[in-house]
Amino acid sequence: MELTKTDRDSLLKLAREKKVYLEGNIVKVISASKGDDEFKKYLDECRKRDTNARRKRLQVTKQVQEQNVDLEKANSENVKLMGDLKDSLDQTSKLKDAAEKAREIAEEAKDEALEDLEVMQKKTQFELISIIVKLALAVIVGVGMTTSALYAFVLYMGYDSKIIESTWSNLFGILLTNSFSIVGTIMGVKYATDNKEK
Amino acid sequence: MINTLMLIDDENLFHLVFEDACSLLDIALSIEALDSSDEAARKFKEWFPDDPGHERPECVFVDLNIIGSSYDGIEMIRKINYEYGNGCVIGIISSSRDEVEIEKAKKVGAQFWIIKSDDIEPRLEEFREDYDGYLNKTAPFKVYK
Repeated sequence: MELTKTDRDSLLKLAREKKVYLEGNIVKVISASKGDDEFKKYLDECRKRDTNARRKRLQVTKQVQEQNVDLEKANSENVKLMGDLKDSLDQTSKLKDAAEKAREIAEEAKDEALEDLEVMQKKTQFELISIIVKLALAVIVGVGMTTSALYAFVLYMGYDSKIIESTWSNLFGILLTNSFSIVGTIMGVKYATDNKEK
Repeated sequence: MINTLMLIDDENLFHLVFEDACSLLDIALSIEALDSSDEAARKFKEWFPDDPGHERPECVFVDLNIIGSSYDGIEMIRKINYEYGNGCVIGIISSSRDEVEIEKAKKVGAQFWIIKSDDIEPRLEEFREDYDGYLNKTAPFKVYK
C-alpha cells in the first residue's frame, strides 16, 4: 500500500522533528514509491525500531512468564507444605488426646490400686486385732476358769482358802480390768478407723 | 503471511508472547487474542450464519485447557468445524503432549498441534512454512514438537 504525498511528508516530518516513527504491523503493509529512497529508508527505520521493541518485549514477557511458572511452583509447594503441616498438627493433637486418655486411665487404675491396698491393710489389721482379742479372751477365760476351779475345789475339800480367796479376787479384778481395757482399745481403734474413712 | 489470526488461550501473558513472536516471524498481520472459548464461540456464532466471509479469522490457534471456559480446545475446534461452518485453518497450541488428546483433536478436524514452550519461535517458523498446505487442505495433521 502506498501513501499519498501529504501523508508521506507528514510522517517524515514527524520522524525528523519529534523522532516519532510508525510501529506495529502497519509498517509491513506500507511501501515506498519506486525511487523514493527517503521514504524507503524511513520505513526500514520503522521496521528496525518495531522489531527491536518487540524483541525486547518478547524477552521480558518470557522472563515474566518463567517467573510466573516458578512462583506457581513455589505456591503449589507452599500449599503442599501447609497441608502436611496441618496433617502433622492433627496427628499431634490426636496423639495428645490419646496420651491424655491413657493418663486418665492410669490415674483411675492407681486410685483403684491404692483403694485395694487400703482395704487389704485394714483387713489384715482387723484380722490381727481379732486374733489378739480371741487370744486375750482365751487367756482371760482360761485363767478365770482355772482359778475359779481351784477356788471351788478348795472350798469343797475344806482346805484353808484364805490365800486362794484373795488370789481369786485379785486375779478376777485384774482379768476384768484387762478385758475392759482390751474392749476399750478395740472400740477406740474402730472409732478412729471409721472417722478416717469419712 | 496470514491476514487475520485468532488465539484462544486463558493465559494473557502468552498472548503477548504469541503476538510478538508472530510479528517478528512475519506470520500474521492482525492477531485477535481471546482468553475464553465462550467469547470465541459467541463471535463465531455471530460471524458464520449470516455472512460466512465476514470478519472470520483465516487461522485459529486454540489452547487445550482453557481455564474458566465452558469448552476445552478440542470441543471448541469441533464446534467451529461442525457447528459454525468449517472455513479456517485450525489447530491446538498447548504444552500438553498427551497422545490421546492429540488423537482426539485430529478426529474433530484439528490440522496441527503446536507444543507450547519457552522457545516457541522455531515451531511457529516451521508452521509458517507449512501454512499454505493447511490453507488448501493438502498438508497432513502435524505435531510441532
